[in-house]
Amino acid sequence: MSTELFFVQLINGIQYGLLLFLIASGLTLVFGVMGILNLAHGSMYMVGAYLVWYFVAVTGSFTVAAMLSAVVALGLGILIERLLIQRLYNRNHLDQVLLTIGMIFVFNSLQSILWGNDPYGVAVPDALSGAVPFTDNSSYPIYRIFAALICIAIAVALYFVVSKTRLGMLIRAGESNREMVEALGVNIKSLYTIVFAIGVMLAAVSGIIAAPMRSIVPGMGESVLITCFVVVVIGGMGSIKGAFVGALLVGIISTFAAVLMPTMSNMIIYIFMILVLLVKPQGLFAK
Amino acid sequence: MSRIKSLAGAVLATTLTAGLSTSVLAAAGDPVKIGIMLPFSGIYAQLGEAGRDGLKLALKQQAEQLHGSEVEYIELDTEAKPSRAPELASSLLNQHEADFVIGPVHSGVAMGMIKMLRGKDTIMIIPNAGAAAATGPLCAPNIFRTSFSSWQPSYPMGQVALDKGYQKVYAISWNYGMGRESLDAFEESFTAGGGEIVEKVLLPFPSTNFQPHISDIAATNPDAVFTFFAGGGAIKFVKDYDAMGLRGKIPLLGSGFLTEGTLQAQGDAAEGVMTGLHYAEQLDVPKNQEFREAFNTEYGHYPDIYAVQGYDAGQAIASTINQLEGNISDKQAVINTMEKLTIDSPRGEFTFSKAHNPIQNIYLREVKDGVNVVQSVAAEALEDPARGCKL
Amino acid sequence: MIFEKRTERIFLTIFFLIALCIPLFLEENSFFVGKITTVLILAVFVMSLDFLVGRVGLVTLGHALFYGLGGYLFVILTPEYEAVNFWIYAFYVLGISALVALIVGVVVLRTSGIYFIMITLAISQMAYYFFFDSLEFGGNDGLFIFMKPETSILGVNFLNLDNPSHFYYLALLAVLITLLVIKIILRSRFGRIVEASRLNPERTEALGYNIFAFRLISYVIGSTLAAYAGLLFALQYGYVNPQFMTWEVSGTALVMAILGGMGTIYGAILGTITYEGLLYLFEHMSEDWMLFMGGAIILMVLLLRKGLAGYLEKLLEK
Repeated sequence: MSTELFFVQLINGIQYGLLLFLIASGLTLVFGVMGILNLAHGSMYMVGAYLVWYFVAVTGSFTVAAMLSAVVALGLGILIERLLIQRLYNRNHLDQVLLTIGMIFVFNSLQSILWGNDPYGVAVPDALSGAVPFTDNSSYPIYRIFAALICIAIAVALYFVVSKTRLGMLIRAGESNREMVEALGVNIKSLYTIVFAIGVMLAAVSGIIAAPMRSIVPGMGESVLITCFVVVVIGGMGSIKGAFVGALLVGIISTFAAVLMPTMSNMIIYIFMILVLLVKPQGLFAK
Repeated sequence: MSRIKSLAGAVLATTLTAGLSTSVLAAAGDPVKIGIMLPFSGIYAQLGEAGRDGLKLALKQQAEQLHGSEVEYIELDTEAKPSRAPELASSLLNQHEADFVIGPVHSGVAMGMIKMLRGKDTIMIIPNAGAAAATGPLCAPNIFRTSFSSWQPSYPMGQVALDKGYQKVYAISWNYGMGRESLDAFEESFTAGGGEIVEKVLLPFPSTNFQPHISDIAATNPDAVFTFFAGGGAIKFVKDYDAMGLRGKIPLLGSGFLTEGTLQAQGDAAEGVMTGLHYAEQLDVPKNQEFREAFNTEYGHYPDIYAVQGYDAGQAIASTINQLEGNISDKQAVINTMEKLTIDSPRGEFTFSKAHNPIQNIYLREVKDGVNVVQSVAAEALEDPARGCKL
Repeated sequence: MIFEKRTERIFLTIFFLIALCIPLFLEENSFFVGKITTVLILAVFVMSLDFLVGRVGLVTLGHALFYGLGGYLFVILTPEYEAVNFWIYAFYVLGISALVALIVGVVVLRTSGIYFIMITLAISQMAYYFFFDSLEFGGNDGLFIFMKPETSILGVNFLNLDNPSHFYYLALLAVLITLLVIKIILRSRFGRIVEASRLNPERTEALGYNIFAFRLISYVIGSTLAAYAGLLFALQYGYVNPQFMTWEVSGTALVMAILGGMGTIYGAILGTITYEGLLYLFEHMSEDWMLFMGGAIILMVLLLRKGLAGYLEKLLEK
């Protein structure tokens, strides 16, 4: 592999990893704070993508569509938490898993009913279309650079919120000691609603950002779910920093594996995860 | 407790009556039972729906050919899951006693169906799954296919590449039956004419992480790229290829599924892509225009190849019933009749090979202004070699 | 006795009575006999999962690995066109599966909780990819089992597996065997230590027990039972496909186990029947069956705190 190609693949890997982080961040946030394993997380990613496709078709503007979709997703997150998730806080983890599996069925079915089963695409917004000449033969799409920057921006924002704001402090406190936070007069119920809604919105936003770069098809949520879990587990369940590192590692490794050993590349990620877990059974940045 | 008892009784009664078999020979005037095993949920749902819609349109249009028999449809959602295939096929064969079983889309499901239906008292017509084995080692008198074998759309593309002067081609697809068989078919004709496959990449199915490979293609700089992808993967590959600036620099060739049912989502990214397929939307065959308008009138949108294949399955059934004057009780007679049919298809007329696969034209298409425009007939009346079939 | 709860005894009695009679009434309809056979085989799979998840405390999303392996091992070990002896080859298949479970167990049991879930999922997915990619083992098209095995013991043949009713009884026998094996183990000293290690691992270890060994043996037993189910599943229609090993299959079994009532074992049978029953009902009712299925699952989770078995017990236990 030439140095030039190596560099290109590294960029590919980092960009893929950054998107993976955005998808995984919501999952690990919700699990870390609330202890809920949301298997319907992939469905939220799918909902974001379908929503932005729908709103682009209706409004013609990607920016407007993106904002509308994010708001709808936030509302959806609040609704789900209030209506369903809330009832299971005192229940066994497996019951929560079962609930979210039921939700996957429901969302997949709604997708089929509302939007149909044809594959869709969202065009890259004009302002971000075009490419930067990169190598002799290829150029790098501006949109991918933009997407990577957005992921970094959100990562920074998350870090800022979690470590520097009051909400973040409550989140960190709620993670370590829920009863104490309640005893201190904080409305833990509202906190949980906010956190869950943010988690859902993060997943949907990643679906929105990814939409112009992929096809929007039935089952797209499940295909991203497993990779998401792998990232979060490698990083350490509940750790946002871990998700960031894990995502970049997974992104880079799967990119290089894809070109160096294409037929085995799907296994490489699992092998990597197993190796990490054998050395650090709770992930890299376990709490 | 008594409520539970009466409920149990009701369940048992329903089960018993559902289980009673009514073996009635399907003579003229009896309903023709058509079992449909297609995916109606999940990633292949679009293909399943199109196939079913095409099938039903044909039987509706050609109702007089049925000599008074009503058609009874039994639709089962395979979800493209091979583990359910034998059971669903058993339901159609044993429970519903379907005269014809149409399906599936997915090759793994096809294998499960074939295991259950091969040699049994029903006619299986495959409206999509291209697995070579179905008209190869596992061919059977009661199994027909109105779609294609994986070899057919790709084989002629080798000669197409040679004719265009491409000497070095980069081949890429998914590592599963259809992907491998497509690339092998291309390689067969391409290398026979002196071409060189500089790189053959098989990605894990159904990975759509194409970015690293497109960068690799750019670095390798071949004369052209040949690929098989379908559905969402086809959309993403073509878009990624364009986004990286390769469209126009390195010609993209493919098996026709690369641009079937995907053009709207692909947009400008698909312009100039050349593919081989046994159909094209704008094929200048009178039956095609007729069919397209009828389909649009019935369903509100225009059909693609998957609908054509379902439509032809319906036509095969209608023609067979017509020739037998409504009496399909003798399965051997049905087979003998169907084998000799010439199907007046929107893709052009075709007949069945001895292995019951269509002998059909493969058209070379190029995407222009969002439409697959036919450039030429890449191969006329191409017959799949049916390797391993003993018919 | 091994069936302690009254509800359990009532349910199992009714279940076996009905199950024994079904082929007698439905002999004509091979589809329904076959369908219920598949449900019985699934019940074996789900019971073995319930044992691991509900009693041993090992939540695995890789259980389908053994389900698929049972079938694949049979195809690999047997000649294509010969009817081998079922009991002998079942022994081989289960033996090798147990060995595989031992090796896998040694690796995965070093983790726990969500990490255990993921590592078991990863291993079963890798096995899925292996069989999917392998041309020698049929690849994504899978493989056929052309000849059903014969079932003679010492020259006496009493089941013809080509007959759906006979195969049905073989599956019912498997349900009985699995139920007894699991219940006897749970009642034994071994079983009680294993449960103790689930409820309070530190205490159990402090008492001097090597939890790792107890869990490993339990994992092997549970996985071997899953392979037993998988063997029967493959034999029923004579077809194996890598898809049988995917996490979706493991996940569906988990849903059935939780719905039925985690840890009750007999609940697994109830959960399997209910899930498959609802699925059959909804599929024949509407193209949007998934919506109803999801809704039903959500309702059941919200309303039944301890699953179906728990609900039954509330009604019947005084």
